[in-house]
Amino acid sequence: MPDHTVVVVGGGVAGIRAALAARAQGADVALVSKVHPLRSHSCTSQGGLNAALAPDDSWETHAQDTVAGGDFLGDQDAVETLAREAPDAVLELDRWGAPFNRDERGRLALRRLAGASRARACYADDLTGHVVLQVLHEQLLAARVPAYVEWVVTSLLMDDGACRGVVALELATGTLHAITARAVVLATGGFGRVYEPTGASLGLTGDGLALAYRAGAVLMDMEMVQYHPTALTGTGALLTEALLGEGALLVTGGGERVMAEAAPRLGERAPRDLLSRSIASRLKAGEAVLLDARPIGGARLGRSFGVTRHLVKAVAGLDLAKEPVPVEPVPHRTMGGVRVDLHGATGVPGLFAAGGCAATGVHGANRLGGNSLLEALVFGRRAGEAAARAAAAAPTGQGASSRLADEERALEALTARGGGPDAAATIRQALTRTMREQVGLFREAAGLAEATRTIVGLEERYRGLGVTASGRRWNYALVSHLELGHLLEVARVVAAAALARQESRGVHARRDFPERDDTGWLRHTLASFTPDGPKLDAQPVVITRWPPGRRAY
Amino acid sequence: MELIFKVYRHDPAAGTKPALESYPVSLPDGATVLDGLFQIRDRHDGGLAFRAACGRGFCGECTLRINRSGKLACITKVAQVAKDGEVTVEPVRNITVLKDLVYDVDELLWQKIAWVEPWLRPATAQPEGGYVIPDAGLEPIRKAMSCYYCGLCDEGCSVIPFDRRFSGPAALTKAFRVVFDPRDGAARERLLRLGEPRGMWDCVHCYEANEHCPRGIDPTDRIFDLRDKAVELGVKSGTANPQVARHYDSFAASVRQSGWLDEGRLALETWGLGRLGELLPMAWRALRRGKLPVPYLHRKRPGAEWIRKIFDKVEKRS
Repeated sequence: MPDHTVVVVGGGVAGIRAALAARAQGADVALVSKVHPLRSHSCTSQGGLNAALAPDDSWETHAQDTVAGGDFLGDQDAVETLAREAPDAVLELDRWGAPFNRDERGRLALRRLAGASRARACYADDLTGHVVLQVLHEQLLAARVPAYVEWVVTSLLMDDGACRGVVALELATGTLHAITARAVVLATGGFGRVYEPTGASLGLTGDGLALAYRAGAVLMDMEMVQYHPTALTGTGALLTEALLGEGALLVTGGGERVMAEAAPRLGERAPRDLLSRSIASRLKAGEAVLLDARPIGGARLGRSFGVTRHLVKAVAGLDLAKEPVPVEPVPHRTMGGVRVDLHGATGVPGLFAAGGCAATGVHGANRLGGNSLLEALVFGRRAGEAAARAAAAAPTGQGASSRLADEERALEALTARGGGPDAAATIRQALTRTMREQVGLFREAAGLAEATRTIVGLEERYRGLGVTASGRRWNYALVSHLELGHLLEVARVVAAAALARQESRGVHARRDFPERDDTGWLRHTLASFTPDGPKLDAQPVVITRWPPGRRAY
Repeated sequence: MELIFKVYRHDPAAGTKPALESYPVSLPDGATVLDGLFQIRDRHDGGLAFRAACGRGFCGECTLRINRSGKLACITKVAQVAKDGEVTVEPVRNITVLKDLVYDVDELLWQKIAWVEPWLRPATAQPEGGYVIPDAGLEPIRKAMSCYYCGLCDEGCSVIPFDRRFSGPAALTKAFRVVFDPRDGAARERLLRLGEPRGMWDCVHCYEANEHCPRGIDPTDRIFDLRDKAVELGVKSGTANPQVARHYDSFAASVRQSGWLDEGRLALETWGLGRLGELLPMAWRALRRGKLPVPYLHRKRPGAEWIRKIFDKVEKRS
């Protein structure tokens, strides 16, 4: 039975950064990931990393932009931490060899991303996340952190209310293992796959959230689901918002500028929630919306957006340098997650979370581009350090082998039951359709209540479901069965939280409550697991120096 | 769209023989090959094993042979590849299949990438505010790092089918990324390692890697860059392995002396008298096929003096 001091679940930017931090503290840390770390969703991030590096920029301005971008739902202590520690996080990557673009003087070049009051994001062409992930993976190899790759965590090992390891399925052999530890860091990414189509990777099925939620951790701000404004229509292929930052325009089929009214000052550089709603309204009115990248110029497009251009060509047969391309918003980034403090602690002893599966409160009701990778780095490091500290003082857990045996019986029952008339794929399609249609970009009470009923019904059907493939080696049907359970668990909380929040704020747009309501709803939505469904609660937003004001773009 | 997917099925652990199974699929226009595979898993056989991760052409996880050509399943449109309503899907070549379309990427890529020790070893301390570097110095690094490990260069490689342990163009491209990073200070040690057997000198420059790379990184040229750097720095390759060192020394000495390669001398000096016997079967085969000149003579080639001058010039430079 493998034993480590700290186990990190997830091999993306947050997970690797946490593992490196725990290792730097001297902990015996191991990484568990259901895909190879270099296949993590972090590699799809294109735009950049915000950091107040320019001489005339300041962490306060970065924080202020983030707070306003999040429509004042962000916890300002967390936002301050993010903005203050951003330059160090970026410089660390520079030290580790990230080939960020340079300006003409050879210093880190900065580009402007949506909702930022100035150029603040350092970047590597249109592959920032890909490059950052590789550099971190290089450091992981250098630190010789053992990695259990293509191991799927099926549950947390709980002992007397504390997390002391994980149970994981090794795909190659089909063997179930208990990996014991004194602390666990969840870094499994978001849950974008409750929607389809989506820009989220196939593995973003809310695994960490569901595991933590069932173990007693609290989920926060689950109703906040951000759409990426510019996916290539009908494909789910995202066109980086750096295109808009560098001069691309959003126009209707008739040549009208889409953002002229909604954001007269920032235009195409307005935050994502505004962009998405403006585009969606035009599409709903039957107009086409096109992204015209020609103002950027063919040379710069070729140099800095080579991969994007190649993908558009491959997927749609269109050339960004020569013609406008049709776009639509798709669900993309989930702001909700396991509620954590500034050190990634979930409140469940021994359990930490960072990155897409955690809610630090930095993004509020709408994440700014350039803050995601940054959050994964800053809070990944903090969570890894805190986990190593906590582990040093924690006892070894008891009862791992009996938990392993229970889990083994449960999996056997699943595969023994075999396929029936109902199918996981049907349930999954029904779920993503409900989420898209009723818990989408625009919401209202009736639809949200119906969505909850639908999801409860799907959960009922799910409980009777078996796994169609019987062997245990490389059994992806079994994996996707487990993932579907996570998706349903998480989706139910999203629908409940969206129904509860009777206002419109950031990405959460209620047709029946179109205004922001600071008196009633300047607070986070919390959800705790009960056998009868989520129990909702609220907690106040931490405000340090930026009182809620009007967002004007 | 109604099609037939012919999918490679094989479970080596169950001891069955590989076979192409046919499955009917029904897909909307614009569907990808990956959509088709998911439909087979959902409707026909949950046991069909294949990998996929980002689903939109960023991560390189779903590289497969689709109608006999290596591609990412997630961005390959069925309509564009189907022939007579059929799409054949197989694992890439020259690789150990673990189950169906899941193959051993650890063997193909990950172990080799770890072998090149691809982490930066900075030459100097980082100045406040970050390293100041002209962007032109980082552009090739970004290009090399745009590699997403689809493995198509390794799949097309002419050496790997004969020696799976060859580090291959993907790992050597990763090596390029650190050797040529303007911040790195360990080029000499790295090149020494890359000069070991199965490293950069094992490439036969067939240019297949350039042909196969979907990101235009030209891995063959990156291998040349590494070799040029080794020559420029005067790194004698293979010194970590005495046999390889003798091979290179003998090779160079022969060409320097006569203007061309004396293969008999190369064999003798590389292997030494003691192990020369191991080559006898090969010599016998060569003899039988008329590839071993009898009697064995090695003459100077015309213009050998000029070749010697090239050697002198290069050695003076390094």
